[in-house]
Amino acid sequence: MSSLNAIVPMACVTAAAIAAMVAEAFRDPGERMPIAGLGLVGLVGAAIATVLLWNHNTSSFGLVVADDFGLFVTGILIVVGLLSLAISGPTIDRERLPAGEYYALMLFATAGMMLMATASDLLVIFLALEVLSLAVYVLTGIRRESPAATEAAFKYFLLGAFSSAFFLYGIAFSYGLTGSTRLDSIRGLTASQAPAPMQLLAVGLVLVGFAFKVSAVPFHMWTPDAYEGAPPAVAGFMSTGVKAAAFAAFVRVFLSAFEPLRGQWSDVLWLIAAATMIVGTVVGVAQSNVKRMLAYSSIAHGGYLLIALLSANDVGKGAVLFYLLTYAITNIGAFGVVALLDNASRPNDRVADYAGLWNDHAALAALMTVFLLSLGGFPPMAGFIAKWYVFSAAVKAGYSGLAIIGVLTSVISVFFYLRIVVMMYMTPGNTPAQFPAVPKIAGAALVVSAILIFYLGLLPTRVLDWAAASISAF
Amino acid sequence: MHFPILTSLIVLPVAGAILVLFVRGDEEQSAPFVRKIALTVSVLIFAETLLLWSRFDPSSADFQFVERHAWIPAFGIQYFVGVDGISLLLLVLTGFLTPLALLSSWESVHEKTKAFSIFMLLLESAMMGVFISLDLFLFYVLWDAMLVPMYFLIGIWGYDRRIYAAVKFILYTMAASVMMLLAILGMAWLHLTTTGSYSFDLLRLYDLKVPPHLQFWFFLAFALAFAVKVPLFPFHTWLPDAHVEAPTAGSVILAGVMLKMGTYGFVRFAFPLFPEAASFFSPALAMLAVVGIVYGALVAMVQPDMKKLVAYSSVSHLGFVVLGIAAMNTQGVQGAVYQMLNHGVSTGGLFLIVGMLSDRRHTRQISEFGGLKKVTPHLVAAFLIVTLSSIGLPGLNGFVGEFLILLGAFRWDPRMAAFAATGVVLSATYMLWMFQRVNYGPVTNEKNTRLADLGRRERAIIVPIIALAVLMGVLPNLFLRPIEPSVARLVNRFHQNAPAHLQVDARPSAIGHQPSAISHQP
Repeated sequence: MSSLNAIVPMACVTAAAIAAMVAEAFRDPGERMPIAGLGLVGLVGAAIATVLLWNHNTSSFGLVVADDFGLFVTGILIVVGLLSLAISGPTIDRERLPAGEYYALMLFATAGMMLMATASDLLVIFLALEVLSLAVYVLTGIRRESPAATEAAFKYFLLGAFSSAFFLYGIAFSYGLTGSTRLDSIRGLTASQAPAPMQLLAVGLVLVGFAFKVSAVPFHMWTPDAYEGAPPAVAGFMSTGVKAAAFAAFVRVFLSAFEPLRGQWSDVLWLIAAATMIVGTVVGVAQSNVKRMLAYSSIAHGGYLLIALLSANDVGKGAVLFYLLTYAITNIGAFGVVALLDNASRPNDRVADYAGLWNDHAALAALMTVFLLSLGGFPPMAGFIAKWYVFSAAVKAGYSGLAIIGVLTSVISVFFYLRIVVMMYMTPGNTPAQFPAVPKIAGAALVVSAILIFYLGLLPTRVLDWAAASISAF
Repeated sequence: MHFPILTSLIVLPVAGAILVLFVRGDEEQSAPFVRKIALTVSVLIFAETLLLWSRFDPSSADFQFVERHAWIPAFGIQYFVGVDGISLLLLVLTGFLTPLALLSSWESVHEKTKAFSIFMLLLESAMMGVFISLDLFLFYVLWDAMLVPMYFLIGIWGYDRRIYAAVKFILYTMAASVMMLLAILGMAWLHLTTTGSYSFDLLRLYDLKVPPHLQFWFFLAFALAFAVKVPLFPFHTWLPDAHVEAPTAGSVILAGVMLKMGTYGFVRFAFPLFPEAASFFSPALAMLAVVGIVYGALVAMVQPDMKKLVAYSSVSHLGFVVLGIAAMNTQGVQGAVYQMLNHGVSTGGLFLIVGMLSDRRHTRQISEFGGLKKVTPHLVAAFLIVTLSSIGLPGLNGFVGEFLILLGAFRWDPRMAAFAATGVVLSATYMLWMFQRVNYGPVTNEKNTRLADLGRRERAIIVPIIALAVLMGVLPNLFLRPIEPSVARLVNRFHQNAPAHLQVDARPSAIGHQPSAISHQP
């Protein structure tokens, strides 16, 4: 039985997902059921399993390793899942979405993400990628009667399927050359051979697959449309969970299996990182829709994470983890505010809709300010520490050019984050935008996120140590 | 273990802000209570800074009241604070101006008083923190954190173009300071490669030998951040906007304290950390400073708006400070530190008075006023004293600082001093001309005939300013004594590490060996 230990966290979540589906099937029309509670149970179970597995470095079937790196990401995904559950309630009620389906899909996606973060075999990574992607495609289009949502889901699905094919192709080439899909054997074989053109092709194709999932430029085109069409709570879930899982696998594959080919891919990744930061921020400035703006901001944040990945020293790997954690909390918080302002009659998602929010919802405005300033990297919020961590990795690895691009683009990003702040605080609202009342659970989740942001910004030591410890055995 | 007085300077305002946050009730019920809490907290902090001064050992150049705790040990980041003679009086100045700024907004801020008080207190906390940080990471955190409350103060309670001014302020200063962040990281990394561990500890980094080509870039990165903050010509364009649009309290803090952070940064960080690069660049800095002195004065002269005039006069006055620092001799730096205090008092005072006039008339155009002397004699008397202190009349504070700076600059490079001295004349011209147009002559505008003279609250604001201006002019020694040892050590260390700097100090000159002509009087 011990060989199953490593998959306990995702098994808990999957069980909860199945339970949610069953519950939905037995639900009378119109009956209210606390299905989110099932998700809560599953995620808490996963959290307990994660804590118990910490430092044990167990592996299941040689395909899934619950090392501390994977468990840290699992922890991030649990946080993402919990926050997403908390902010989804109002959306489900208002849009009359099928609660069981919604939560089941979210939990399946989370299980897929966890698998992706801990998989040590390219095929399992692909499997996990498909599990999470399919669930997320459906979630994007879950508002069936909305044309925008359907369009977004379809776009996302087509492009996503395409990129999965690239990814699979890459795996096939890699298998053809090395005879294995296991990351450690690939590493051993690539280290002993001179780089063959075929192998570079394999690396390139896998890179395209990952770049698509983390929405790195030039594979980012789907992101703004998908986030805009999806319900805000789902957009928050996608922008953080998918990114965290994809980055975890990205780091694992490129810093273990393809590490010997570093000389070949580092220049490409340099360009992708720079382009991702620049395009994300510069295009973000031009957005008038908050969701699209947050989409471009999340693209830009992917660029910072790529710097950390590229730096590839111990600081960089720790920085990936810490950055993912703070980014997840902050971005879900920001999307959470967007979700809570969402109204049955109008989405309230243009920047102009935020005018005078301070007068109607002082607390929401303050929370949004905290999230935005943290995304912009202002101390004493967590976003600052995370960026600082990334830039110190870059300076240490000698990527000063990327660090300079990084700090300059983060100044540009402050410009568009502040546009919302300007709207909320300094512009009188001309038409009362009819913001709905804030439900207690969602409000509490946002307050907890804000507290975590300050905690990670002021006293980051403990979490930094965990992040550093979890990559040491990597 | 002694009472962590420096930490309390950071924590107390935050605690006050949290207390204010929990005051219940709508605007009308809560506002008077909120104002009193904020004022009480800020007065308490001022008392603390005075206590700090009384316990401070003026004969020592070391950092005192040091507190040191590990913060992020993996990177050698510490919570490391302390004061020396250079920062001590800047703390007192911050403590002094904040209650006055709060008082000045007693009636003019009547919306969202709660948020206003919270931002003022948070701002005070961050400013105190900047002056006491001895860890570069901590310094940067507070340096950046300080921008946010000021941004809200300008953007919410400012005048017509407040949003533009607020965004310009925050983007300008942030864009300039991010390069400093990279330079700080570079320093820590350099410490890692030479000693094997990260460190952001200022005192350790002082001893780090930075290779010349890195010094060059690091100095530029630091200097850019500080030059924008000062603001040094040609990086000053955010300042008139920010000052003109900010509410009076914001202008007072901005001019009185925040601009000093730029010059303080030069003294504390840029010059001692990178002495070779600093001595390479200091002629250029001095040149920009002199251009700023003359340019600021000339532009101030033609301003129709009093607040804008005072804002440009800041560009000119801060040019003097940078000139004194660039000279890097005892008189120059001592004068620069003294002038930072002076400028805080007199320009703070000017903004307060302009604020009082603008509260009465809702305009700041010079042409709208005239002949106020007959209408509001007390206000005009206060205005006169503050004006004279700003232009450096002997017997008031401004004179001592400018004199020391010019003395230091002359010993370093007489040409600079000669050009800078024209600024003294020009400042008398524009200030007195403005004063004359506003206060003398017949009352030309009907609306000015029934203006109220100073009220009780306004007296409470302006009397301390005048008292301090006189005290600093008559007894400069009181203030110079604690400054001197720290400055002397700074200058000596600088010359040891940067032999290239024009070493006028090293040889005996006509002015003599005395480190300072004034402070050595018995």
